[in-house]
Amino acid sequence: MKREKQYRGKRLGLPVIVTLIVSAMLAVVSGSYSFAAPKVTTIKVLGWAPGNAKFWADTVAAFQKANPSIKVKLETVPFDKYSEVQGPYITSKSGPDVMANNAGLELFDRRSAYVPLPADVRAAGKDLLTYSGACLGFDVTQKCYGLPFSYQGNVMYYNKLILSKAGLDPNKPPTTMSEFGTACKAIEATGSTCLALGLTGVFPAYWDFPEIARNYLTEADMRKILAGKMPWTDPKMVKILQGLAMLTNSGWTNTNAPSISMLPDAADLFSSGKAAFAGTIISDAVNWQSFGKALGDANLGAMLWPSIDPSAPLAKKFSGIEGSVYGVTAWSKQKVAAFKFVKWIAGATNGNLWVKDVGGQALNKKVDKSALPNSPALSQIQKIVAHPTLHVGVLLSSQEADALSRGWQQVALGQMTVADWTAQMQTALQNSPSKN
Amino acid sequence: MARKGNTSMNTVQDGALVSFFRRNTAISKLHRYVGFLFVLPGLFLVLEFKFIPLIKGIWLSMLETRGFSDPKFTGLHNYDRMLHDPTVRKTFFHAFIVVCTLPVWILLPLILAVLIFQKSPGWKFFRSTYFLPYTIAPIVVGIMFRQMLAPNGALNSILRAVGLKRFAIAWLNGPTSSLLSLTSVALWSFFGLGVLTYLSALSSIPLDVIEASRLDGAGFWRMLLQIVLPLIKPMVGYWTVLCASGVLVWMFPLIYALTQGGPGVSTMLPEFLVFLTTFQFLDRGYGAAIGMTLFVFVAIFSGLSVRYMYHEGKGAEK
Repeated sequence: MKREKQYRGKRLGLPVIVTLIVSAMLAVVSGSYSFAAPKVTTIKVLGWAPGNAKFWADTVAAFQKANPSIKVKLETVPFDKYSEVQGPYITSKSGPDVMANNAGLELFDRRSAYVPLPADVRAAGKDLLTYSGACLGFDVTQKCYGLPFSYQGNVMYYNKLILSKAGLDPNKPPTTMSEFGTACKAIEATGSTCLALGLTGVFPAYWDFPEIARNYLTEADMRKILAGKMPWTDPKMVKILQGLAMLTNSGWTNTNAPSISMLPDAADLFSSGKAAFAGTIISDAVNWQSFGKALGDANLGAMLWPSIDPSAPLAKKFSGIEGSVYGVTAWSKQKVAAFKFVKWIAGATNGNLWVKDVGGQALNKKVDKSALPNSPALSQIQKIVAHPTLHVGVLLSSQEADALSRGWQQVALGQMTVADWTAQMQTALQNSPSKN
Repeated sequence: MARKGNTSMNTVQDGALVSFFRRNTAISKLHRYVGFLFVLPGLFLVLEFKFIPLIKGIWLSMLETRGFSDPKFTGLHNYDRMLHDPTVRKTFFHAFIVVCTLPVWILLPLILAVLIFQKSPGWKFFRSTYFLPYTIAPIVVGIMFRQMLAPNGALNSILRAVGLKRFAIAWLNGPTSSLLSLTSVALWSFFGLGVLTYLSALSSIPLDVIEASRLDGAGFWRMLLQIVLPLIKPMVGYWTVLCASGVLVWMFPLIYALTQGGPGVSTMLPEFLVFLTTFQFLDRGYGAAIGMTLFVFVAIFSGLSVRYMYHEGKGAEK
């Protein structure tokens, strides 16, 4: 009996011992595994990747190195398709953890999709030249929905070779609209187009409208536009539309302006050396860098749009706006990691990469600007951006932006009067949910 | 006895029949179940990808969606709003104009198909190239023609070079010319499919019929209208149905690349307005209402064409 019991004990004891040993080994292995590779959180970032692919690869690699427990997965969509992709994510309340939107009304319209910044992330904004475009009403005391890293805005580029050919001084480009008209006559006499312009899409609202509007509006007026309290029938607004109509009716632009887009068509016209001037932006696409590559840095100049009324308070100001703003989505389950990325975006390391890889204007004050490339146009831009004002283009609703370009097309073709255009703009304002 | 025998025989036969029918009924029931099982995946796909989205679309069209805020049920308000919206009225009027070009969409490919079929001079060239435009992505076609139809583009340069300066108009800038230019570009892009469709129908016509008509002295038009057309009527009907719905829902990529609906809204068709309203203005409910109205508009035109084709087919059977 005793032997039998001993035998049974041996028979039962062996598997128990083996099980215990295996369990212990598994515990050690899994323990050491978890010790060697902590749990990795993956966050998905939706954006249009402003700048270039190298910058985004570099910034993601640097972020992941600084935060080994977070993996960033980028979903990049072309800018003109962005709303089509982002819209379904927002309506279905699912998808990326971090999203980008243009500062201003575009972001405010979509604020239900974002979580307001917590205090510690918001504090990172103090290192930025500005981040008000990410906050309701352009007011940093109100809720902010993300942080930007780049500065964006409008300038007019010019081709020094065409100016020289027309007998104009390439170092003294026109500063007033009457000087611009005189220059255009001389340029057209040489067979070149004076101003490259495309009126389809939303570019006129963002790139041209603010530059005429600065001649008539104050910053208080601009805030009224944002609030929907500035009717288009207001004499100041009518003057802006008349100013835009003057640009096309004076024959300074390419003849196909009403049926082409500013990007890529009109920008191509300027890049190929067929037009003397083009009003575009300082960063991202069609900036001094791409034009410099096409025309040669020495042949490219940058200036403020010529003013219609040089005595206007904002006539010599730069229409500036934070570039794309990155915020954390309301449905994200990785909010802590996502906010770390947003904070990173606004940080100095990312700003330095933006300067180094793209040659862009960084908003972070700690960024080393000595890394900026040597370009005459970029040097001119540095002086221009030093005197900013609000960018009134991003204060228009999508209904107003659309009506502005469609109306301008028809006015340019003589199919509509400025009075009808004004009425159309007023209707668009009344149909803008974000302003009513 | 005989009668009795007959009766018993009958009884046996009746029993056999009954069991035969019972067995058959069971088999036919089984067949029905098996048939239903085969249909089930298709039925599921139709419900999941056609019926449910349609119901959701109708529901969405009854909601007021302001930006991304929570939608509110407003019944037929969006449809009422449409009636008072001049842009919507204009886009449907444009759609009607495009539908009016349907005879060209039907006849032009037919003429080219017959010319290729009867080996007219140059038929080898057309046979190898007619389908080429259809293989180019519509968005690329739009970009190509935006350059070609520009005021100083290739088309106007050619017209000026051959002394037709007065015809060198702003193709994409005029309120009427822009819509007709858009339709012409769409026709150029899609007519290869029509030629292919007609050629497949023409290949079924016995050659001796064509030969006989030629011997009887029928010219091109007489042969086309009195011999070819009646013989391929069902295929013409099929192409008509395809075009009737297609011209209203094929245009989006062309509008997107060519004009963006402009100048103003002169080339705006309802399908582009749906896109603009939904994705740019973020007014999904109103966009769905316009989309539903377009659906009904297309259904009416397609329905009329199908009905006509059905009657023609019945007539041919008799």
